[in-house]
Amino acid sequence: MAKEVERYSKATRYLHWMHAISFSILLLTGLILFVPALGFLAEDSWTRILPRIAAVLFVVAPMIYVPLNMKRSGRGILSAFKWGKEDIRWLLAAPRYYFLCDEEAMPPQGHMNAGQKMWWLIALVFGSLFVVTGGMMWFAKDTASPGLLQWAVIIHDVSFIVTMIMFFVHIYMSAVHPLTRPLKGGSWDSMFCNGKMSADFAKAHYAKWYEEVSENKDSG
Amino acid sequence: MTEKAILYDSTSCIACRGCQVACKQWNDNPLDKEENWGDCPQTADISASTWLKIMLNEAKSYGDDTFLFTRRACMHCTDAACIKVCPTGALSRHELGFVTYDKDICSGCGYCMEFCPFGVPQSTRNTLTGAAKMDKCTLCTTPGADRMSENYEPACVKTCPTDALVFGDRDDLVILGNQKVSELKDEGYNNASLYGENELGGLHVLYVLEDSPDRYGLPLTPEFPAMADVWQDIIQPVGLAAGGLLLAGLGLNYIIASRAKAAREKAAKKEV
Repeated sequence: MAKEVERYSKATRYLHWMHAISFSILLLTGLILFVPALGFLAEDSWTRILPRIAAVLFVVAPMIYVPLNMKRSGRGILSAFKWGKEDIRWLLAAPRYYFLCDEEAMPPQGHMNAGQKMWWLIALVFGSLFVVTGGMMWFAKDTASPGLLQWAVIIHDVSFIVTMIMFFVHIYMSAVHPLTRPLKGGSWDSMFCNGKMSADFAKAHYAKWYEEVSENKDSG
Repeated sequence: MTEKAILYDSTSCIACRGCQVACKQWNDNPLDKEENWGDCPQTADISASTWLKIMLNEAKSYGDDTFLFTRRACMHCTDAACIKVCPTGALSRHELGFVTYDKDICSGCGYCMEFCPFGVPQSTRNTLTGAAKMDKCTLCTTPGADRMSENYEPACVKTCPTDALVFGDRDDLVILGNQKVSELKDEGYNNASLYGENELGGLHVLYVLEDSPDRYGLPLTPEFPAMADVWQDIIQPVGLAAGGLLLAGLGLNYIIASRAKAAREKAAKKEV
């Protein structure tokens, strides 16, 4: 059997899939406000209740995860804000990689490549904005001033557009793109199956992280 | 079609509230819980089941302590922010100029409540589930209770005993309203005005007022909220375009990358 390294712990994978499910529900029900032709779906008000259930899941999942994984969460959140020269080089080389399948052009990366880090940063920032503005629209509808609620609506909707784009890109990159799709032991396995990634894939895609991990056996 | 309107003459109104009763009866709206404050047991404001309310504003007007009566209900603006922000198209413009709505497709988002310059749309909202439906005066165009299609006057106008409420072609009512205002001015009511002639592109409820509108609790210069344009003119189309372009881009990427990958594999085989 090929050598494997642990990439995502069980708790991290659960958090990921809880957010994947709740975000999908929120995205689909939110779409009703973007596509007027879907307005008929609002008839029985289930479009009000379903996203609220998903929103509770979306908020509760990290509230359980973070206290149980303090060290890992702190390191993870900090890593979203650490950007270096190689991240920029990675982003510049990304079109060659994703369009021409040129795997040699990519500079070595840490636990996340620059693209993943961008998504993670956006998820953190806009996820928080979602929770704050969504909470206002849920609980302060009768008490907050109209002006404040207007801003909440606009911020919530801008967050919707940004995260929707990154959400689709994320699914595409990790599950559909020709370079990632057929790779057993790659990104998909590490999040979907056992949390492990083949050492070869790790070396090729996350060289800096692989070095660290081979030294101290720590996972993200 | 010729636009219609209601002319409300505050100086003829005796606040009998017959219009409130007629409105409730015609639209089959239940009673709200009333609170007794002083000698006027009344609900505090319009609500999801009280679409029309005569407000009694205590004021000092032209040196007298008096009540300035005003009619609180949907103004049926020409530049209606509620229609502009409604994401599902539940709110729409009636051919007679009124702002009507299809309650079935109201998503309960409440944007209309936040953007209305008069704070008119109301809803009963379940705080836990968020389930809500907006309600307001439709100027008797509600499907199933549509007096307009039968050429009836609105219920409130029909019942008004002092003709403080008049229904008719908007152009005619603007002329009539301005006549009444100039008569008031002749009598010494210098602050008299016709409210709604030009506000927000023209309201479909016109007010003959003997004193300044703010004495009646009406905004002096009601404004179309700037953010209302952001929603339908920017957010909605940008969101749709971004989603569409993205899916097309990813599809294109898939085709190009698949070919590139196949070409590389072919080249690799040759090398071997």
